[in-house]
Amino acid sequence: MNLLDGYGMDTITMAGPLEAKLEAMKSVGFSQVMLMARDLVGHPGGVKAAVKAVQESGLRPTGFQVLRDFEGLSGHLHSYKVDIAKSMLEMCAATGSKVLLACSSTSRHATEDLDLIAKDLKKLAMMAIPLGIKVAYEGLSWGRTVNEFTTSWDVVCRADCPNLGIGIDSFHIFAAKTPLDAIEDIDPDRIFLAQLSDFMWHETPSFEERMTTARTFRVFPGEGVHSDQLADLVLRLERIGYRGDYSFEVFNDDYQQLPLETVAERARKSATWLHQDVLHRSAPLPSWASNIQKGAV
Amino acid sequence: MNLRTTDREAVPEMPNRLGIQGIEFIEYATNRPQALGQVLESMGFKPVARHRSREVTLYRQGGMNLVVNANPDDARVSATADGEAEISAVAFRVQDALKAHTRCIDLGAWSVTSQAQAMELHIPAIHGPGGTRYYFVDRWQEFSIYDIDFKPIPTVDQHPAAVESMSYFGVVQYIGSARSADWMAYYEHMFDFSVIPDDERFGILPKGKLMKSPCGQFLWQLIEPDPWMEADDAPESLKRIGFGVKDVAQTVKTLKANGVEFVESKELHPEDRGALTRSALGAVSFELVHQAS
Repeated sequence: MNLLDGYGMDTITMAGPLEAKLEAMKSVGFSQVMLMARDLVGHPGGVKAAVKAVQESGLRPTGFQVLRDFEGLSGHLHSYKVDIAKSMLEMCAATGSKVLLACSSTSRHATEDLDLIAKDLKKLAMMAIPLGIKVAYEGLSWGRTVNEFTTSWDVVCRADCPNLGIGIDSFHIFAAKTPLDAIEDIDPDRIFLAQLSDFMWHETPSFEERMTTARTFRVFPGEGVHSDQLADLVLRLERIGYRGDYSFEVFNDDYQQLPLETVAERARKSATWLHQDVLHRSAPLPSWASNIQKGAV
Repeated sequence: MNLRTTDREAVPEMPNRLGIQGIEFIEYATNRPQALGQVLESMGFKPVARHRSREVTLYRQGGMNLVVNANPDDARVSATADGEAEISAVAFRVQDALKAHTRCIDLGAWSVTSQAQAMELHIPAIHGPGGTRYYFVDRWQEFSIYDIDFKPIPTVDQHPAAVESMSYFGVVQYIGSARSADWMAYYEHMFDFSVIPDDERFGILPKGKLMKSPCGQFLWQLIEPDPWMEADDAPESLKRIGFGVKDVAQTVKTLKANGVEFVESKELHPEDRGALTRSALGAVSFELVHQAS
């Protein structure tokens, strides 16, 4: 048992080739990785070589991202997005990821009708079933209709499909200032992904500010100005019975120009803060001590 | 004003939006068609026709059609390593094949690209678990689809009677762990299958979840790996066919005389409710299930 087992980094946080990112994560003790499609497609050896690199790293995929603007479209736009979704699902399956992240639509062409949005997401979930994939639907804080987790949960309930759940992202919750009380209404078994990050501003009132901050200046949990809220969020998730992974969804232009080991080390510190200071879980005993406990020595 | 009594309480009818009316055929893929043919013949199937352009043979007994696909160009055949035979498709009889296919695609099914050659039937299909397919056939009343794609084997009775009136009873699907809810939702949504309560079971292998087709003519059983089985990550598959019979003991006797062996252990053995044949060609086994009518 490793202290970092329930936490993982995201390939989008670091610069460099995929193999180097995986190695950096592994070297500080992480055992899982959230994969970004671009990191696979952009691999010089192609997707197959990228999948091989992931498998050989021994890191378990937390999930695969990201399908954008899927829901609420009609006619040829819908057909186009179904094709894109199929390719994403196939890549997701190839990497051995069990979760595909789908973000709420930002498109002006998409309907605002929550029942139609739910219908499309159910279709996406159906497409994912034969491949053994769960779909985590996340409300972007600048999503056109769905921009809070309360609405993404509403849509998921309307769709009522066992492999469709929500993705929680602390950034969007803090940016949209969604009250955390609504966490209590969520079925913990239908949270398929919990992505954590923080940022340095207290206010992000406009969609533009949220977008820019989300894409360039997120930081690891414990590094930003919402540490108390982040701790509150994680404790509430624990309280309702969430036992899944926590993945660090940190887009940060500075981290993109730092050595990978430096960034990975910051992530490790963040996970340790969450594990010990927030969740108050004890550090695992060294292996010689646990062997004594089991009576193996 | 409509005063039909059922309307007063809005009693829902079992929906059957594809107009499913039973199983038209089940297909096996194998690169050892003769060996599988022997197994099938011992179970009472007779080869009656061969495909016009591909290495595919049609077997039949009573109302059951069974296709053995040994076409080396078919990825599902080349995927069956070591000569193991696998169920590679189930064809449903439906009201309108094109409408059924279109509806399923609209709901999120993956379409299978047709490989029909000139003058052959294009049977619309969607992908099932693993590499399997579900076909939709609507021409089963006026004429036979086999008359177009298949040539009858000369001198062979095209409609051999079934051993002890056996008929298709159901299909057993092996699924991944914690996947029952997903597949139940899938079959409910796509095919209008309905879940049978856990205390209602048939035959001698009652594990897993059981669903019924909307026509009531066949069942679908979903079986997860046991929780204590370590990392059973075998691909999901259609595992075996169940045959419905009126008299299990008599059928077992007849099939034994044909050379079929049954699983006869302390825990599992032929009884009035059902029986299981021993696996042949790696994983091919059949289940007999007592069917009252």
